[in-house]
Amino acid sequence: MKFQIEEVTVYFPYDNIYPEQYTYMVELKRALDAKGHCLLEMPTGTGKTIALLSLITSYALAKTESPIKLIYCTRTVHEMEKTLAELKFLHNYQVKHLGAAAKMLAIGLSSRKNLCVNPKVSSAENRDSVDAACRKLTASWVRSMAAENPNQPTCEFYENYDRAAGGAVLPAGVYTLEDLRAFGKEKGWCPYFLARHMVQFANVVVYSYQYLLDPKVAGIISKEMQKESVVVFDEAHNIDNVCIEALSVSVRRQTLEGAIRNISRIENEIDRFKDIDAGRLRAEYNRLVEGLALRGDLSASDAWLANPALPDDILRQAVPGNIRRAEHFLHVLRRLVQYLKVKLDTDKVEKESPVSFVASINSDAGIDQKALKFCYDRLHSLLMTLEITDTDEFLHIQTICDFATLVGTYARGFSIIIEPFDERMPLIPDPVLQLCCHDASLAIKPVFDRFQSVVITSGTLSPIDLYPRLLNFHPVVSRSFKMSLTRDCICPMVLTRGSDQLPVSTKFDMRSDPGVVRNYGKLLVEMVSIVPDGIVCFFVSYSYMDGIINSWNESGILKDIMQHKLVFIETQDVVETTLALDNYRRACDCGRGAVFFSVARGKVAEGIDFDRHYGRLVIMFGVPFQYTESKILRARLEYLRDTFQIKEGDFLTFDALIDVMNIELTDRNLNQRQAAQCVGRVIRSKADYGMMIFADKRYSRHDKRSKLPGWILSHLRDANLNLSTDMALHIAREFLRKMAQPYEKTGSTTGRKTLLSQEDVEKLGNNGAQEMLY
Amino acid sequence: MSSGQVTKRVKYKTSVKDAGTPGRLSLVKERLVFRPNNPNSASKLDMQFKYITNHRYTKEGSNKAPMLNLTSNQGASYIFEFESYEDLHICRDFVGCANLMKFGHKGVAELLHRQQKLQILELIRKFIQNNPAEMICSSVQGCCKTIDYVLHSELQKLHQQFVGGGVLTEAEFWATRKKLLEKDANRKAKQRGGLKSSVLAESKPFIDGRTNRVTFNLTPEIVREIFSEKPAVHRAYLNFVPSKMADKDFWTKYCRAEYLQRSKNIAAAIAEAAEDEELAIFLKPDDILANETRRKIRRVDPTLDMETDQGDDYSHLPDHGIFRDGSKEVAESGNELYQRTLLQDLNRHAAVVLQGTPIDEEQLKDTQTVAEALERSKQERSTASKDDESSADQERLKGISQAMTIDDLRGSNDHHLAPLWIKDPRDYFDSRQASSVKTSIEATKGTMSSHESYGLLRESISQIKSMGLNHPVVASEVAQKVLSVLTHNISSTKYNLGKKPGESLLDSLPTSVRDELLHHHISIEELMKHFWSSYPITNKYLNTKVTKLKDEMSKMDSQLQKLKEAVQPDIRHQITLLIRPMQQALEAAMQHYDAEQQKRASKAREKPNGYS
Repeated sequence: MKFQIEEVTVYFPYDNIYPEQYTYMVELKRALDAKGHCLLEMPTGTGKTIALLSLITSYALAKTESPIKLIYCTRTVHEMEKTLAELKFLHNYQVKHLGAAAKMLAIGLSSRKNLCVNPKVSSAENRDSVDAACRKLTASWVRSMAAENPNQPTCEFYENYDRAAGGAVLPAGVYTLEDLRAFGKEKGWCPYFLARHMVQFANVVVYSYQYLLDPKVAGIISKEMQKESVVVFDEAHNIDNVCIEALSVSVRRQTLEGAIRNISRIENEIDRFKDIDAGRLRAEYNRLVEGLALRGDLSASDAWLANPALPDDILRQAVPGNIRRAEHFLHVLRRLVQYLKVKLDTDKVEKESPVSFVASINSDAGIDQKALKFCYDRLHSLLMTLEITDTDEFLHIQTICDFATLVGTYARGFSIIIEPFDERMPLIPDPVLQLCCHDASLAIKPVFDRFQSVVITSGTLSPIDLYPRLLNFHPVVSRSFKMSLTRDCICPMVLTRGSDQLPVSTKFDMRSDPGVVRNYGKLLVEMVSIVPDGIVCFFVSYSYMDGIINSWNESGILKDIMQHKLVFIETQDVVETTLALDNYRRACDCGRGAVFFSVARGKVAEGIDFDRHYGRLVIMFGVPFQYTESKILRARLEYLRDTFQIKEGDFLTFDALIDVMNIELTDRNLNQRQAAQCVGRVIRSKADYGMMIFADKRYSRHDKRSKLPGWILSHLRDANLNLSTDMALHIAREFLRKMAQPYEKTGSTTGRKTLLSQEDVEKLGNNGAQEMLY
Repeated sequence: MSSGQVTKRVKYKTSVKDAGTPGRLSLVKERLVFRPNNPNSASKLDMQFKYITNHRYTKEGSNKAPMLNLTSNQGASYIFEFESYEDLHICRDFVGCANLMKFGHKGVAELLHRQQKLQILELIRKFIQNNPAEMICSSVQGCCKTIDYVLHSELQKLHQQFVGGGVLTEAEFWATRKKLLEKDANRKAKQRGGLKSSVLAESKPFIDGRTNRVTFNLTPEIVREIFSEKPAVHRAYLNFVPSKMADKDFWTKYCRAEYLQRSKNIAAAIAEAAEDEELAIFLKPDDILANETRRKIRRVDPTLDMETDQGDDYSHLPDHGIFRDGSKEVAESGNELYQRTLLQDLNRHAAVVLQGTPIDEEQLKDTQTVAEALERSKQERSTASKDDESSADQERLKGISQAMTIDDLRGSNDHHLAPLWIKDPRDYFDSRQASSVKTSIEATKGTMSSHESYGLLRESISQIKSMGLNHPVVASEVAQKVLSVLTHNISSTKYNLGKKPGESLLDSLPTSVRDELLHHHISIEELMKHFWSSYPITNKYLNTKVTKLKDEMSKMDSQLQKLKEAVQPDIRHQITLLIRPMQQALEAAMQHYDAEQQKRASKAREKPNGYS
C-alpha cells in the first residue's frame, strides 16, 4: 500500500498495516525531520523492522535533494540476514510501483570468514585464521613479492578485483552475504573487499553493532560514512553492554604466556631483518621520528584491527622516543608483561583505578603513561615493518598492547579488577585481570556526534528514560508503543506444582530433588502429546540442562518425549547448535514436530526467533538469575552512582538511589534476558499465537513475576497464576482449540481497529494521527 | 488360457526318501504333466487336477528341501522337489487355484456365501502374479478374464446383466474390479518404516551385580541405528569385518568403547585407546561426521546461522570484552578428544531420524546385510543429493523470504480456501435439538390446537358413555383368527431364530430363493457402487450413465417387489426383512437422483446459455 505521512509518500509492501506501525512511522519521521536521535520501543510481533525500513527508504526517496544513507545495525549476522530478506521484499515492491527510480544498493557486510570465496582461505577454522590466511595472500608486500616471483601464491579473487579497480562495482539491488558471495564467484572478484569498497556508495548498509561501536573495527570499516546518515540500532536493549564490552580487555595467564612467545618471535624476526634488510628498520625509525605512526599509503588489504581507543582520544603526536627503536619497544613490552604477571599472581580480589594502576606501572616497571598509550600504534607499525602476515598468531601481544593503550588513554569510566578465581568455582584457580569500562556512553558518543539521526529501537526498552542517561544523549523523540491485539494470542501460565501437587522450582535446595526433576519431565511429556509442531524449553544453565536431560534419559522420560517429538539440544558448540536448530526447523516444517532444549542465557535465547509453528509453546524451567555478586557489575553500579553526583551528606537518598539503580539494572537484565529473550520471540504477527509456561513456584510471587515484560503480564490471568500440570494441560488444550478458530483480522468487532486498510490510513492522514490512536 | 501355464524343473518322487527323477513339471489349466528329462524313464505323469484332493508343502525356513506333496483321490501321493522355494510357491499357488476352480461355480458360491471373498481375492492375486502371461495382462480385459475364470458364476452373471444389458460399458464394469486387485497387489509396496524415534542404541548395558561382567544387547535394528548415526563405526565395520576381525570381536570392542565412554572414565579411555588402535576408532570423534557437519553448515538457513555470528564478532577477540561478568557460563575444559556427551548423541540421533533412511524389514537379518544395505542407500542418496542440492537451496531461500512476510498484513488474495468454521460441537448439537423440538411442536400445532383435541376427546368419551361398549366393531372370533394368522409367522421366526449360532436366516430359505436374493444383492451393490461414484456429475458422460443406472434401478426395484410377492407366505416376512435394506438403498439413490435432477433443471433455467 501507498500512503502519505505529511509530505512523504510511504511505500509499504503489504495491503494492510497495524496501527502501531503507522504511529511508529509518524514518530520516526518526526525524528528524521528534526535531524535528531530517537528512542522507540515497540513489542515484538508488530513488524518493527519493516516499518523502519519502509519509512526510511521512502523518506530517502522523497528527499532526493539531500540523500540520506541508512546504516542498519543488528546484533548478529543472522538478524542481518533477516533484515536483508525484509528489505529485499520491500525493494521489490518499491521497484514494482516506482520503477527504476526506487532502485537502490543495499549490502550486508561481515567479516572475511563469512564472505570469502577463496576455498583455500575460507576453509580455515576460525575468523582470525581466515583473516590471517587472507593477509598472507593479499598483503601489499606479498603481492609485490609475487610480481617478481611467480611461485608466490596470491588470491586470484583479490587480484581480479584489484585489476578491475574502479570498474568493480555492484549493480543496484539488495545483497545478502550469500548474494555477495555468489556475485563474487561469478565475476571472480573478492566479495569482501568489493563489499567494503561499496559501503561508501550504498544506500543501505546492514552490519553488526561492532562495526560502528567498537573502535577497533569501526576505525577500518566505518571511517568514511557520511554525516547525512540514519543509524538504526535494532534490538538495542543490550546496546550498553555492547558499548562496554567494546572497550574492555581481560588478561589471563594464557594471554601472558602467549605474549611472551610472541615477543620472542618478534625478536627473532628483528634479528633476521637486521641481517638481510637493516635499512627497513632504520626507515621505520625515521618515520616515527617524523611523527607518523603509520605509513599513510596503507592498502585496504594491509589494514588490520584499528586502535582500540576512540578516534577523538588518539593523540596525533609522534611516538615517544623510548619506544621508537624496535628493540627498546620489545624491552618495554617484556617489562609490561612481567609486571602483569606479578599482578595476576594474587590470591585476593583487587580493584584499582586506571590512574593508580598507571602510576604503579610507572614506578614498578618504569613505563610511563605516554609510552603505554602508544603501545598499539607502535606494535602495529612494527608488525607491518616486519611484514608479518600470520596475524592470528599475534593476538596475545595485540591484547596486551590494546590493554596498555586503553589504560594509558582513559582515566575515568574504567577500573581494573583482578580476580584470582571465579567466585562460583573458588577451587579452580583462574586468575584474570580485567580492564572494564563502566561507561556505555563512551563508545557510542562518536556515533551520536557523527551522524545526524540515531534510532535506538527494541521490543523492550523499559524503563525507557534510563537509556538516555546510560548512553548520555538527548533524544528528540522517546516513545513506547503498546501492541493492540485482535485476540488473546498469547497464553502465559505459571506452573507451580506437578500433577502430584508437589512444588517445582530450580531453587538451589530443590533443583536436584528427584521429585522436581520428575515433575518437570512429566510436564513436558504431557505437553508434547497435545501441542502441535515446535516446543522450546529453556533451562537456567547448561549444567542444569545437562543434568536434567541425563536423569530424564535414565528414568525413561526422554523416551516418552521422543514418542511424540524429536529432540534437539543446544550445546556449547555453536556449529552443532546451529545444525540442531536447522534440523529443528525442518522437523517443524515437515510436520514431524520437535522439542528444542536451550539455555536461558545461551546464544539461542539471545537471538533466535521461535515464531509461528517453530514455537507454539515455550517452557521456562526455573528462574534464571543473573549472578549479581559479580565484581564487575558492582563496580559499574558504583560508577553510575558517582556519575549521578550524589551529595555526600545525603545518605538516605543515596542509599535509596543505589538501591533503585541496582534494582533497575538487575531487573532490566532479568527482563531482557529471561522473558523478552526467551519467551518474547514466539509472536511474529498478530495472526500468530503461542503459549508460555513459567514452571517455578517462585513465579507465583509478585516480585518475581512483575519483572516479566508488561505485554506478557497483561495476558497473564489470575486464574493461571498457580497451576499444576493437569490444570495447565487443560488450559493448553482449550487455548489451542480457541486459536484454531477463524477470527476477524481487523479487530473491528472489538471496537478498536487492530489492522488498517489503505482506506483507514488515508482517513487517518486527513484527520491527523494524533486523535485516534492512544 | 493357453498362456496360463507354469513349467518348472523338479524332481519327481514317489516317497520322501526316494532319490527322484529329474524332469519338468508343467501345470496347465486343468491338468498337471510331468515329463522326465530322460524320455525313457517310466515315471511319466499326466493327471487332471480334479483328482487331487489335497496338497502339502514344506515351509520355507525349515531345513528340508522345497517339496510339494499332492494326494490324489485314490490315496496315492506325488512328491515334487523344487529347485527353490520360489518355484515351489508358484506351483503351490497354481495348484491352490486349480483346486479352487475344481470346486467350480458351487465352490465359489460356497466361499462367497461364507464371506470369504478376501480369500478368493488373495488366491486370484497370487494366480495373476505367478502367471507370467497374466502378469503382463494387467489391462482391464486381462483381469476380467482371470476373475471371470474363477468367480465364474457371479461375475459372469453380473457382467451379462449389466454389460450385456447396456447399462454399463465393459470398461466401467471392470474399472471397479481392477482397482480392487491393484490395491491388493500393491500391498507390498506401501510405506516403509524409517528409524524409530526413540534412541535404541541407548539400550542400557545390563550389569550383573555379582561378577564384573557387562552385557550389551544388540539387535539388527540397533545395529542399523548405530551404523547410521556413527558413520565411522560403519566404515570400520566394512573395513575390518570379516577380513581383519570377526563380527563378534568387532562388537565386543565397540561395546567396550561404549562402556568406557559411559562410565565417564576419560583417563581409562585414553589409556586403552593408546594401546588398541581399533578401540581408539570408536572413541575418537567421528571424522566423517565432522566433514558432513562442515558441508552442512554452509547450507544452513542463514537467518539462524550462529556460526556466522561467531565469525563476525570482533569484540570477542580472545581476551577482549568482559570475561567474567557473571552472565556467561563457565565452560568446563576437559580432554576434548574423548568426550562425547549424551546431548550430542541425541542431536545426532534426531538428525538421522529426520533425514530418514528407510530400510526394508528383510534387510534386518544380520549386521553384515545391514551394513551393506546402508552403504548402498548412502551411495544412492549421495548421487541423488548432488542433483537436487541446488534446487533445495533455491527452495530454502524462497522459504526464508516467505517466512519473513507478515501473514495477516497481506491482502487476502487467495480465496481458494474457505475457512473451516468449527464451532463447539456441543453448540451444534444443542441447536439442532432445540430446532427439532421446536419444529415438532409446530407440527402438532399446525394440525390441531390443544383446545380442539380436547374437544374431540370429550366428544368420544361422551359417545362411549351414551352408547356403551356393548357393540364391538368386529366379532371376537374373527378377530382372534386374524390375529393368530398374522402373528403366527412373526412369533415362529421370533422363537426359531437366533437359537443356534451357526444358523442364519438365509439358510432356512429354499435354495432358489436364496440364490436369487444373493444375486439381487450383488447386483444392487454393483449398481450402487457405480451410481454413487458418478456423483458429482461433472460431464455429460456421467449424466447419461446415471440415467441408465437409474432405469436399471427401478427395474431392480420392481423385480424385488415381484420376488416378495412370489414367495410363499410363511417366509414372506423374512424375505421382507432381507429385502428392505436393498429397497432402502435403491430408494435413497432414486431420491438423490430426483433431487439432483431438479436442482440441475432449476440451474439450467437460471443460466439459459450455461452448461448443463
